[in-house]
Amino acid sequence: MIYKLLVPGPIEDVEQVRVLEWHGGEGQAFAEGELVVELETHKALVEVRAGQAGILRSVISQEGDWVDIGSPLALLSDSADEQLPDGLDELAEMALSFEVS
Amino acid sequence: MSSESGAGHVRLFFREAIARALAEEMERDQRLLVLGQDVGSFGGAYKEFAGLHDRFGPERMRDTPVAEAAMVGLGVGAAAMGHRTLVGITYMDFMTLGLDPLVNYAAKARFKTAGRITVPLVVKTTAGAKGQGVAHSQCLESWLMGVPGLKVVAPSDPASAYGLLKSALREDGPVVFIDHKRLFPKSGEVPSTECFAPIGKAQLLREGSDVTIVTHGYMVHVAMEAARELEKAGVDAEVIDLRSLAPLDMDTVAASVGKTGVLATLEEGQVTCGVGSEVAFRVMERLGPVPAVRVGPLPAPVSSNPVLEAECLPDAGRLVDAVRRILSQAKPKGTA
Repeated sequence: MIYKLLVPGPIEDVEQVRVLEWHGGEGQAFAEGELVVELETHKALVEVRAGQAGILRSVISQEGDWVDIGSPLALLSDSADEQLPDGLDELAEMALSFEVS
Repeated sequence: MSSESGAGHVRLFFREAIARALAEEMERDQRLLVLGQDVGSFGGAYKEFAGLHDRFGPERMRDTPVAEAAMVGLGVGAAAMGHRTLVGITYMDFMTLGLDPLVNYAAKARFKTAGRITVPLVVKTTAGAKGQGVAHSQCLESWLMGVPGLKVVAPSDPASAYGLLKSALREDGPVVFIDHKRLFPKSGEVPSTECFAPIGKAQLLREGSDVTIVTHGYMVHVAMEAARELEKAGVDAEVIDLRSLAPLDMDTVAASVGKTGVLATLEEGQVTCGVGSEVAFRVMERLGPVPAVRVGPLPAPVSSNPVLEAECLPDAGRLVDAVRRILSQAKPKGTA
């Protein structure tokens, strides 16, 4: 199954975030709880962790990109050979946890 | 979406525009010092000094105690003796403690000494209400507008913050740079190459023919929201961001009111002896009587209760109502 990883929120007082660092490239397998990506707000860092196991398949928002809360960051899948779809609308959301510090 | 967005521009958080202006000027002018609470390794209350302590060191990014009179006094003295200083006063409410050295020494030094002593000082402070109650919410900029020798600027977005701070840091005399708590969550396009926003020059943000809305700082965003609402009601509003409160760019404002025939001012500070009062009177000195309305907060301290804070502050709805009221009272255009 393919999942879309979205910018988590709401984060108090935050309108936009910037992608700071991906902790792995396409093809990387993440276990539940592992740090996937760090986002930067106007005053804090947001650590986004996998809420389920998944393989990073396609990075949609690159480091340095500006993204809104709820917009797509990447696609992940259960297994490495699943065909990626053209659109994102039908995809399930990747489970995640996040911490603002 | 990329940070390199559009030809020659880069998208920055508001705080990053401030840090960039300071970094460029500190690189250029070794005499430039920054004084303030938490401006050192902490990087500023809004992270607007982030990275500067590492780059320029503790000698030039100096943490101070909570002692605003002393901070401004030291800044004035250092500037008078050949440095250039930026003093950060975290909340504008506490500018009151630093007014004596600012008003009675910095602003007057050039006059008292026939130009032999100048005070190239910038006091940077953050105004405005955002959930912090009676003594951390005020916009006191109109208090400073009538001090001869003092310039006052107020950015409304990252680009104007960058450009105005660059200009302020090149001035020979004292400048108060007033940003706003609600500007910090915002990002915006800033030119990639060095540039300056001239002090004393307003910016026309939206052209219109029915009413001129004059505002500054965070209230620019409220005015633009109101202008969009007014457009739905068939009212074409012109919006001017003053950017510079002292000196005021009356050429731009009067030209606009001469065209639209109606003036509305919007500010978060009190309207009594406020920015709008001054703008309206100067417009009428040039143009004669014009229908005018001032929109501001209630005449009450801002509460830390968020419901009461919102009730106190001017918003787009109040501005829309005030504009529609004055337009209905004003003589319709084109009639005798």
